[in-house]
Amino acid sequence: MDSATLYVLAAAVLFGIGVHGLIVSAHLMRKLFAINIMGSSIFILLVATATPISGQADPIPQALVLTGIVIAVSATAFGLALMVRMSQETGKATLAVEDEPENDD
Amino acid sequence: MIGLALDLLIIVSLIGLAIQSINAASLFRGILHFVVLGLAMSLAWARLDAPDLAMAEAAIGAGVTGALMMIAYRRLIEIQPDQESSLRPPPSRLAVPIALAAGALVGVIGLAAIQAEPMPALAGTAVLENLGSTGLGNPITGVLLLFRGFDTLLEITVLLAALLSAQAVTRQVDLDQSLTTQDPDTPLVGALLAIVVPLTVLVSVHLLKAGGQETGGAFQAGAVLAACGVLLVLTGRLGASRQYSPLVNTGLLVGLLSFILIGLAPLLWGQPLLALPGLWAIYWIESAMMISIALTLVLLFAGAGSLKRRDHG
Amino acid sequence: MTIADSIALILLLAGCAFYLAGTIGLLRFPDVYCRLHALAKADNTGLCLICVGLAILSADWQVAAILALVWLVGLLAATVSAHLIARHAHSAGRVPARSGPSRR
Repeated sequence: MDSATLYVLAAAVLFGIGVHGLIVSAHLMRKLFAINIMGSSIFILLVATATPISGQADPIPQALVLTGIVIAVSATAFGLALMVRMSQETGKATLAVEDEPENDD
Repeated sequence: MIGLALDLLIIVSLIGLAIQSINAASLFRGILHFVVLGLAMSLAWARLDAPDLAMAEAAIGAGVTGALMMIAYRRLIEIQPDQESSLRPPPSRLAVPIALAAGALVGVIGLAAIQAEPMPALAGTAVLENLGSTGLGNPITGVLLLFRGFDTLLEITVLLAALLSAQAVTRQVDLDQSLTTQDPDTPLVGALLAIVVPLTVLVSVHLLKAGGQETGGAFQAGAVLAACGVLLVLTGRLGASRQYSPLVNTGLLVGLLSFILIGLAPLLWGQPLLALPGLWAIYWIESAMMISIALTLVLLFAGAGSLKRRDHG
Repeated sequence: MTIADSIALILLLAGCAFYLAGTIGLLRFPDVYCRLHALAKADNTGLCLICVGLAILSADWQVAAILALVWLVGLLAATVSAHLIARHAHSAGRVPARSGPSRR
């Protein structure tokens, strides 16, 4: 097993953790952690699966991921601002799960 | 062999930290785990032969994101001191299957990409072949500024849009009191700033200049500069302000405007859009972007539209 | 392995040992002041040893100078942050634990 395979498997596990956290955590900040973890796992996948070009790393995926990291922090900052405002309006930083109609079953 | 063991160690800590950041008993611990996760990601990038990403992740992913989360947490506990209580949502029976399926999907895609017949990376090969003619040494800076400049232009736009949206939803009340430490007059703080601020400026300019030839670039430099700004806000040297400041607004826009104007100019003499006319244009745009990125991140941290100097006698 | 390499290896291992001690202190010590004591002293010594070890390995004055700068900045940050944390704890009325390690 080489290290690229290892990192792909890690990306899969991290993505699963992120999805699970996004669904089950109540606090909005934890949901933001989860979204960031999902994003990071995809970044790892992109870089780990890139084919080296004559011994040199492929610059395109790395540049894409660099762009992605900056976009992720922008989105996180906006999410945090939304969360703080929501907390100011409603007094809590969670989504109102109990108010939604039960259409789960 | 040692390399593989190191990879395994990094991956195990990545997974453990991810689980902890979501499931930690208190939200504050979750934030701490998330910041450490960013540092572990940075190690993973170093192992994946991506030093630029390692640096960006350490500065932006761990540093700036961590600071933003801490300050948001502080604002949250001012509103509702008990952020942890009674937050058990109704358990979802679908969560685990969905998570497993999503993880499996990512894993299968990745394994398929690895095991497929190795495709020649056409775009990457083109970049590496043509890099010599541009005068740049770092292929990633080349991709960001020359070969896929449009992406970077839009990226700066997204960063600015995030700032404007965050300002639109932030309630502009009692800005002045919420950020500074209780006693910013400790003599050590002044000494720290006197050394760290010039050093940070030096490091970010070095990163910017190095970005042309080796690891570094506008984003890493901007993040380091932003860390300096965050320090100044935290120690009460810079304060959030509501007043219109031409200097701040110029700084915010200079990156985007430089990129657009220098990118449009080639159309005048019949060249394609964003065909930057030489190295000076790249360094000019990168410097302008560094200032804009740093200022945007500091304003996102301060949760304000502008900054003003504050005196400490 | 040359003599320089072995010296570097010993320094690196010693640095790791100091880090380990600092971390154990952080986890085991009873109150905030003791923990700061463990972190600020042991970890900075560890950082110093590791920087010296790496400088010997690199055998390059420029790299050595940068590593020295890294150590100084780390020292500065650790000093000021430990001071601020301790000051905050003191003004918040935390009293140092007097009786040995925590009995849990």
